[in-house]
Amino acid sequence: MQSALAMQPAESPVNVLIVGVGGQGVIMVSKVLATLCQRQGYQVKQSEVHGMAKRGGSVFSHVRFGETVYSPTIPLGEADVLVALEWAEGLRWLSYLKPESGIFIADTQQIVPPFACRDRKHGAGSGYARESVADVIAQVANCYAINAGQIAHELGNTKAGNTLLLGMMSTTLDFPADDWREAIRMFAPPKAIDINMQAFDRGRDWVETHNPADFDPGQGIEMPIPVEEVAHEVEFELPVINRAWCKRCDICVKFCPERCLSLDEQQIAVLHAPEMCTLCRICERLCPDFAIELKYRN
Amino acid sequence: MNEAGKQFNIRDYLREYLFPHFLCPGCGHGIALRALLWAIDELDIDKDRLAFVSGIGCSGRLGAYIDANTFHVTHGRPLAFATGLKLARPDLEVIVITGDGDCLAIGGNHLIHACRRNLNITCMMLNNEVYGMTGGQVSPTTSSERYTTTTPYGNHEPVFDACALAEAAGAGMVGREITLQTPGLKDVLRQGLAHEGFSFIEVMSDCTEVFGRKNDLGSSAEMVLTQKASVRPDFLEDAVDQPFRPHQIKTGVLAKNDRPEYAESWRRHIEAMKRERGHA
Amino acid sequence: MPDSAPTKTVNLPGNHACALGAIAAGCRFYAGYPITPSSEVAERMSVELPRVDGVFIQMEDEVASMGAILGASMGGMKVMTATSGPGFSLKQENIGYAAGAEIPCVIVNVMRGGPSTGLPTRPAQADVMQARWGTHGDHPIVVITPDSVPEIYAQTIRAFNLSEQLRVPVVMLYDEALGHLIEQVSLSGSGDIEIANRKWAADPKPEFQPYASGDDLIPEMVRPGDGFRTHTTGLTHAENGFPTQDPELVDQYMRRILDKLEIHNALIESFEAIDTEDADYLVVAFGITARAARRAIKQAREQGVRVGMFRPITLWPFPVAAFESIVGGKHGVLIAEMNAGQLITEIERYRPAGCRVDGLNRIDGETITPRQILNSLRELADNE
Repeated sequence: MQSALAMQPAESPVNVLIVGVGGQGVIMVSKVLATLCQRQGYQVKQSEVHGMAKRGGSVFSHVRFGETVYSPTIPLGEADVLVALEWAEGLRWLSYLKPESGIFIADTQQIVPPFACRDRKHGAGSGYARESVADVIAQVANCYAINAGQIAHELGNTKAGNTLLLGMMSTTLDFPADDWREAIRMFAPPKAIDINMQAFDRGRDWVETHNPADFDPGQGIEMPIPVEEVAHEVEFELPVINRAWCKRCDICVKFCPERCLSLDEQQIAVLHAPEMCTLCRICERLCPDFAIELKYRN
Repeated sequence: MNEAGKQFNIRDYLREYLFPHFLCPGCGHGIALRALLWAIDELDIDKDRLAFVSGIGCSGRLGAYIDANTFHVTHGRPLAFATGLKLARPDLEVIVITGDGDCLAIGGNHLIHACRRNLNITCMMLNNEVYGMTGGQVSPTTSSERYTTTTPYGNHEPVFDACALAEAAGAGMVGREITLQTPGLKDVLRQGLAHEGFSFIEVMSDCTEVFGRKNDLGSSAEMVLTQKASVRPDFLEDAVDQPFRPHQIKTGVLAKNDRPEYAESWRRHIEAMKRERGHA
Repeated sequence: MPDSAPTKTVNLPGNHACALGAIAAGCRFYAGYPITPSSEVAERMSVELPRVDGVFIQMEDEVASMGAILGASMGGMKVMTATSGPGFSLKQENIGYAAGAEIPCVIVNVMRGGPSTGLPTRPAQADVMQARWGTHGDHPIVVITPDSVPEIYAQTIRAFNLSEQLRVPVVMLYDEALGHLIEQVSLSGSGDIEIANRKWAADPKPEFQPYASGDDLIPEMVRPGDGFRTHTTGLTHAENGFPTQDPELVDQYMRRILDKLEIHNALIESFEAIDTEDADYLVVAFGITARAARRAIKQAREQGVRVGMFRPITLWPFPVAAFESIVGGKHGVLIAEMNAGQLITEIERYRPAGCRVDGLNRIDGETITPRQILNSLRELADNE
């Protein structure tokens, strides 16, 4: 493929935006890139936000390099490359990509933040992004989506997923591969250098052997399923209480998170608010008398 | 969903004609039995190959409710019977269900030697801190200051840490869990069942009707919540608040080692000896 | 032991003969705990069992070894343990389990002097009552008392056969003197030995009742893994194997386990009668004492006193019918036993009117001599 660098007029900087969630290694990727650019004789500006310094929070890093760089941040629609270590984070920054030539490199792994869970009901939809890879391909100029986390896991360390994306990114910038490797060595933990090298090569190879937008669903890429499709997959029916076995201990009543169980006038458990039941099965699991059963559909 | 792709239904493992069972309302033993059967279901062990050996006491009666080969033997001796059964029939999955009195008091000697020998047996000890069936007498695990029918002025004897004992005696796998964490308990039991060697799993059960009432510990729900507050899951081992909460009971898989399983290593030794000496 | 093994004659101590008898009978599991004077049984079993793909294990205590053999028996093996007085006491609870749940097993008790630790290295015959009534409650049990090393061998085989056929614990009861006595024994080739096996249930139907029996009162045994999935308990149980307190079912169960020995008496009963037909007097003796009695009755006859001997081989249930048919018309009975008077209580129950019953008891850790028996016989005859 043609490198992003080659596409740039010499006087304007190259913009790389790296995004993900805390703990994935966004900062490491940007440090490698920034160090490498500096060594290649460019001026570099790197600007980052580390979410809340908490694992799982949103993290992004702007890296700009060229003959002369003035502003540390990338304006909307000006990023040459967007590297996303988490799928939804990538989608959040898509508008920063150059519409005509931007390159989107994304890990399809999904880290669903707790606030995306809007309902405790079994099978209830979450607030997580619903765009599939195909949706994104239609929106951007160049898209490379890969389940980097899983490939890195297969290599022996899930955390090397960021280096795999670095490998993919390295093909878009016209620097020698060995210089990339050297820069990675500086920032990877000593024990994990081998795996990081493998991950880097895998990333490079993948881009070189695939066309943009050519992703293989068989690679374990699972995209979010819209709510409507999940709803009918509820596996259980409402709890059924076997009155002959219930010993009136009320443990189910006390532990029901939705307070939909109670004891009737004979002190036997009843489901008085079935509409509240989330089918969580806590009552079934805690009934010492096996008197509550949530039957499986089919 | 188990390994065979079948959904767990506890009724598949029960002798339903004996229900409702004899346990008191709110007894934690029932939850423990569910967790055990759930773990068995996940491992998809053939019921005909399952052998439960249980002793005397509330815990000992559980075996009868399981649709498998069940042996309800003498007080304190289930591990001895199980040792014979497992040696005679290595093809059986032998599971011992015992209680704190059965296992640690009258059967204490068998426990330490079963741990040492490391036969492939899974021992689930239901610890409810009391001799429930005989009316609530003090047991080796009754907490300090608790009242029982034989400690009318409060228990003054120190408590047995059964898991520490089992680990020190060499058990292949040692675990502990409370009944409230049913899926967690199932996982610990499942690991015990899958372990090649002697697995000792202590279930912190609760005796609401006898022990709880005598000590004013509230309903089952209150008792299990108290238990939950008193334990510290194994995955929190290195957490920073450890120094401030040092007396918590550890739960989860507490010890695991790969000492050779006795029966298998003995069989191999004898076969090698026979080959060497040239007689079959 | 290969099938083609020929009969061969060897010198053996009693305890080794017991071990070899067990192997010949098909015993493939032994659990024990060392105790004088029975330890040689365990030692020999530890050599022999691995050779025949059996299991030997030395357990942590006497109780555990009894438990382990019952576990193995429930798993389908023929099993044995050996012990002596104090260990026999410890095993009693589980012997009761074997009687109640009808688990075949053989327990060897090599008697030593007692009570308590007593005389570990000296012989006695003081466990007559413990062998019968050692465990609590009414229960069936068979006790066999050999009087020689060849008989230990043969009777151990028989003990297994009885235990397997009747689903009852069988005690091999002999004393330290016999256990350590070396005699010539003809070890039968395996083809020559009569072996009985337990009846196995074969058809796992849902309505199967593990403790239901036919006219023989012996339920078929269930082997785990054969698809029955039954319950075994030491609690009083109904025919379905589950505990019951229903008086009718309890009575039915209790009578069956006790009656099964009665209706199979022909199989169980075993005794030796020497010169009893024309005898005026009878010596009753078992085990090592019977050997002295044999000589004493000969000497007595030489001196003109017509004496015979009745030797129970199956001590419990006591061969009542045989004894009663023999004791009829006798003037007196002398019971020679190395205890303070245990078997004599049983003899007194069946004594005919006008028949005098004397006891010769030795409790000093020494065997009874022929001279002592002769003297006691003379006294019996003189005082009649």
